[in-house]
Amino acid sequence: MLTKTLTVALVGNPNAGKSTLFNALSGLRQRVGNYPGVTVEMKKGQFTAGGLTVDLIDLPGTYSLAARSPDEMVAVDLLLGRRPEEPRPDVVLSIVDATNLDRHLYLTSQLLDLGEPVVVAVNMIDAAEAQGVKIDCTALSAKLGVPVIPIQANKGIGIEALTQAMLAAAEEAKAPVGPAFPEAFEKEVTSLQTELGADVPGFLTRRLLLDVGGYVEAWQVEHHGQDLKQKLAEARQRLADAGHSVPGVEARARFAWVRAAVAVGVTRPAVRPVAFTDKLDKVLTHRVWGTLVFLVVMFLMFQSIFLWAKPLMDGIDGVREDIAKGIEGNMASGPLRALLVDGVVKGVGSVLIFLPQIMILFGFIAFLEDCGYMARAAFLMDRLMSRCGLSGKSFIPLLSSVACAVPGIMATRVIENRRDRLATIVVAPLMSCSARLPVYVLLIGAFLKEGYSSWVPGLVLFALYMIGFVVAPLVALVLKRTLLKGATPVFVMELPAYRRPKIFAVLRRMLEAGWAFTLRAGTFIFAAMILVWALLYFPHRDANGESYPNRIEKAEEAAKSNEDKLKELKAKPDATDDEKAELEKLEEAAGQADHLNGEWKRSSYLGRTGLYLEPVFRPLGWDWKIGMAALASFPAREVIVGTLGLIYDVGDVDTKAIGNDDADEEAKEKAAGLAKAVKDDWSKDPIRSKYGVAVAMSVMVFFALCCQCASTLAVIRRETKSWAWPAFTFVYMTVLAYLGAMVTFQFGSMIIDAMG
Amino acid sequence: MLMPLDMLRSGETAEIEEVSGQAAWVGRLAELGIRQGCRVRVVQSGSPCLLDVNGCKLCLRGGECSQILVRPVS
Repeated sequence: MLTKTLTVALVGNPNAGKSTLFNALSGLRQRVGNYPGVTVEMKKGQFTAGGLTVDLIDLPGTYSLAARSPDEMVAVDLLLGRRPEEPRPDVVLSIVDATNLDRHLYLTSQLLDLGEPVVVAVNMIDAAEAQGVKIDCTALSAKLGVPVIPIQANKGIGIEALTQAMLAAAEEAKAPVGPAFPEAFEKEVTSLQTELGADVPGFLTRRLLLDVGGYVEAWQVEHHGQDLKQKLAEARQRLADAGHSVPGVEARARFAWVRAAVAVGVTRPAVRPVAFTDKLDKVLTHRVWGTLVFLVVMFLMFQSIFLWAKPLMDGIDGVREDIAKGIEGNMASGPLRALLVDGVVKGVGSVLIFLPQIMILFGFIAFLEDCGYMARAAFLMDRLMSRCGLSGKSFIPLLSSVACAVPGIMATRVIENRRDRLATIVVAPLMSCSARLPVYVLLIGAFLKEGYSSWVPGLVLFALYMIGFVVAPLVALVLKRTLLKGATPVFVMELPAYRRPKIFAVLRRMLEAGWAFTLRAGTFIFAAMILVWALLYFPHRDANGESYPNRIEKAEEAAKSNEDKLKELKAKPDATDDEKAELEKLEEAAGQADHLNGEWKRSSYLGRTGLYLEPVFRPLGWDWKIGMAALASFPAREVIVGTLGLIYDVGDVDTKAIGNDDADEEAKEKAAGLAKAVKDDWSKDPIRSKYGVAVAMSVMVFFALCCQCASTLAVIRRETKSWAWPAFTFVYMTVLAYLGAMVTFQFGSMIIDAMG
Repeated sequence: MLMPLDMLRSGETAEIEEVSGQAAWVGRLAELGIRQGCRVRVVQSGSPCLLDVNGCKLCLRGGECSQILVRPVS
């Protein structure tokens, strides 16, 4: 037997509890955010009731059906059955907030004009009762002419009655009657309708007349030519002369209708009690106290991201190492093993290590959004952000980017305005993320520690962080004035009432963010890591045709067999000349493996590219070694530390050991050795010995400004659904980094010259 | 006496007399309850300011507030 399918569209204002009702009806879980415009995409659910299959479509939260953009038009077209992918809804389910009935019924009155059966669900009836507001749904239903059902979506109360009402309404299929407009208006609509023909539904004809500069107008004028524009202007002028100017006529007609209905169905207490939300807002939106609370909240958030994520990150790293060791122990050496260990395990591991940070950050954001605090934070930060052409909503994503740009870019989803969101996404990678820290620490340690006051390293580090904080708003400002130019979006934001966040929704959001990151950014960086690995691995035979990995293994074995002897000789206080010579030889043999490794990297494709591109790096004060390390670190900037280790023949340096006092002795020694090796190598070179500090600064400025992070680019691609934006971000940041590094070196070397 | 909304101080209540500017923005504000004949209370003045419209909190910028003419209610 075929079951009949019923299509129901769920429409409501932001924060009406739409997503909660959607979950309660369909059983499908999705995110519930207490922030205007949280449902960006339409979600679909399915359930069975009374032997029917019901398809439930969750439309984006909106205050009205006056479409101003193609995005908003999708919802209107869907409701009118003008979208090919969805049938016309059999029933429109209008959800309204009981505590804010006057405002929400405005949208309901527009839905009545669609000509489809409407069922009104009055949500949060308990919250209204707590405020002393009594709603008589039977009286309200009689006045509105459609079924009105009281519900509490979060507790599942009234859902059964709502389902029954929807089935009954679909069965009856009676078109409701909306508010009456002035006769003069109806006359204009009728004459406009004959002009447009029967193709355009009456609903859209009314919108065409009402929404000055709206989407319907743009669309119809394109269709019918400038002639229509003229006719529209005349019609609107006639209405204005008659005292019914648009768009005011709509607000007056609809709100008069709403007021009449509410007067019958709603009883309010004489004095509105000071709600809990008001008391809390007194502190939380206060210029001084609110800002203070905000700073404390942000501090705790970032502190916990670092503290809580650390053990988890170490755990992931441990597993990664175990797997790498397991493969190394069970496979013969060769390209395949190298690919698995260096390319796959280390490459993917270096991405997955960000997972705990991302999930914790998203847990915080979901919690703050759900309880309603996020809108207050955006309100507080709007003054600061409006100076660079952004709004308060851009603040959290930018601040998150200090930990990592990937979750920061994902957090831009809360920004409704497309241009603002793009500007925020594009500048987020400029914020100094945690992966830049090892590079800074390494170079500052090598060049700006000895012979300088103790405050110099800290100051330089602070300055490097400031580069991001200063350049990001500037770039945003330039973008908003040029590429993302457009009318300043009207900034109206609703501050929703505080609510208790749902733990399940928060956990759900953390898992979603984690999974999305692992799946998509993971696949992209996986490919990128393999590519760089291959460029560093091949060709893997020296001039005599002998394989480097084999030679290195032999050298390592030789070094190991002589280890005891070396120790013994080292410990000997009164060594003879013979013994001293032997010691020297043995020490050289011990370094042979690292030396071979360096030679191999130099002759690899990437190494050759570095040599070939040396002239490009010259204005920055770099030699081919630095250039090559910078090139190799384009997929992930942390890679530079390891690459420098390989190039300067120190061996594999553990990035974590840098600036980390807890690292084991051997790792620390190697890290310190790298700083020393870099310094020694530069001292042999005429440019870098004289201008060592300028070169180090130029490298650091380059890293501060450059977009060396494949995951970030992959996430930008995913969030903007286009390759153009990641490409743009990559190009502008690389150009900026190159210019910044060049200016730093040229300026720095000038100062050094002047000082003699 | 008519004055722009951003002239009001915190805690003052006013009746909205006229909302001017782009039609789309006037429409949007009307949907949110800021339209002729409605009452607003300024919770916090300045830019952005915080308004109480029918028990609902809205946040607006100063430039936009200056386009809303109100009549203060004592």
